[in-house]
Amino acid sequence: MTVDYIFDSLNQLLPELAGSSLFLIISMLLPIALLLGFITIYGFGVIYSEIKVSSFIQDKTGPMGQGPGLHAGKWGLLQPVADGLKLFIKEDIIPASADRPLFILAPFLIFIGALTSFIAVPFGEKIIITDMNIGIFYIVGMGSLAVIALILAGWSSNNKWALYGGMRSAAQIISYEIPAGISLVAVIMIASSLSMQEIIAYQSGGITNWIIFDNPFMPIVFIIFFISTLAETNRTPFDLPESESELVAGFVTEYSGTRYAIFFLSEYANMFVVSAVSATAFFGGWQSPVDGFLDSPAWSVFWMISKTFFLVFVMIWIRWTVPRLRVDQLMHMCWKVFIPIGLFNVFGVAIWTILRG
Amino acid sequence: MIKFFSDIYTASVTIMGGMLITLKHLFNAKNGIATLQYPEERWPRPERNIGFDLGSYNVIRSRLHVDMDDCIGCLKCERACPVDCIKIETAKAPERGEDIKDVKHVGVTTNGTRKAMVVTRFDIDMTECCYCNLCTYPCPEECIFMTGGPNSKKHPIDYEFSESNRSDLIYRFAKPGTKEGMDKLLEDGESVGA
Repeated sequence: MTVDYIFDSLNQLLPELAGSSLFLIISMLLPIALLLGFITIYGFGVIYSEIKVSSFIQDKTGPMGQGPGLHAGKWGLLQPVADGLKLFIKEDIIPASADRPLFILAPFLIFIGALTSFIAVPFGEKIIITDMNIGIFYIVGMGSLAVIALILAGWSSNNKWALYGGMRSAAQIISYEIPAGISLVAVIMIASSLSMQEIIAYQSGGITNWIIFDNPFMPIVFIIFFISTLAETNRTPFDLPESESELVAGFVTEYSGTRYAIFFLSEYANMFVVSAVSATAFFGGWQSPVDGFLDSPAWSVFWMISKTFFLVFVMIWIRWTVPRLRVDQLMHMCWKVFIPIGLFNVFGVAIWTILRG
Repeated sequence: MIKFFSDIYTASVTIMGGMLITLKHLFNAKNGIATLQYPEERWPRPERNIGFDLGSYNVIRSRLHVDMDDCIGCLKCERACPVDCIKIETAKAPERGEDIKDVKHVGVTTNGTRKAMVVTRFDIDMTECCYCNLCTYPCPEECIFMTGGPNSKKHPIDYEFSESNRSDLIYRFAKPGTKEGMDKLLEDGESVGA
């Protein structure tokens, strides 16, 4: 959608070169560049909010510098920049016994998974890179790409902690794909479309039309989906793949410098993507909560980002409240609690949809 | 089956309760901060009484200080030190009560004692000091003391004396004189002693 738009505008701007492959390449690369910029800025923002929320919850202030230099800026605003710079100038170590190509490939793969998921995230009626007719399915599929990267990272490090982390992440993410998918099935049944824009269009007309208030099953569906996405992004109650107290740092044990930073950024980017899916599927996406109130294209970006950020904030909030689960508890929760309840929800929503006609 | 649902209920209620507590702390962050911005803010000086007369003798043993102008080089503090962290070297003064500019020697103390010795070295190793305060009692001129003690008006309390180099924690109180003055003093001292 955006690619076509940029391509058409370039063609109109320079008619003598219309339809050239140069314009096509530019119109493809421009959204990716914008996306990378957005992920970087969002990364700084979310790292800062993670620091500050965790500090306030623990009755601390977090970084509170008094100026540039050693003190990381006013209220520590430059702390994420300092962290990023530190990681980028650190030595990049590849262990001698590591499987070199796979070790190098893993961070790229996880970042590709995070970056390509953004393509189908809608920020407005026209502000979406590609409105695929299977958008939600595509995002779920791209989210699963992380499993391969995590197993690659764990296996190629040739380190027992990393291997345990990779194995745990595989078990965890593949298990929690199922409740997340089942929850989305309920949403898809109501909206009767897999396209992100059509799911949002179904929820037009204010807060009462949002899918989460559509029928009594949906709040439970949302909670199951939200907790499953927590597990898929390895956030704290489910951060078994990188549990510090058991597995040094899990699958990132052997990574350092830039490669570690990419893993770190991908985790936060994945948080944004799954929160954006939650916001799209349950909270009306880029639509304003009140019909006809502040719904220009610019405000639609604001609504989408604020809804997503609220969910990201809840993820951070949960991280600093709930302790980590054990492996057996994790599996118990997925297979014996979420999947039966999720299937029951699908059944109930199906009956509800048929009866409503 | 009942246990299944009661477990889910317990989990939900307890997690909600925990999240409510953290949310309260999050929004009460302005009032509830437990930490200090250390270099800018500091804890107030702690109050503590160790004397027999409660309330009047507020001693904080913070760090040793010597007023070199009053020191007569009697070595009583060095002998009193249980960990031998004080090292004093003296030389005999050419004449009692006479100032020697070259080594910044003041002849008469504030108590009026005319000094017979020139203190050429007065080192206190604060890495070894055990803060027992035993060196301050024998001092006849009351020139060695703990800052923050009865003399705290002269020297404000300072309990943060970290240094980047360990040797900087050896406090050298003797004022460095010129080399010629030192040599002359040592020669004279030997001649006087002989």
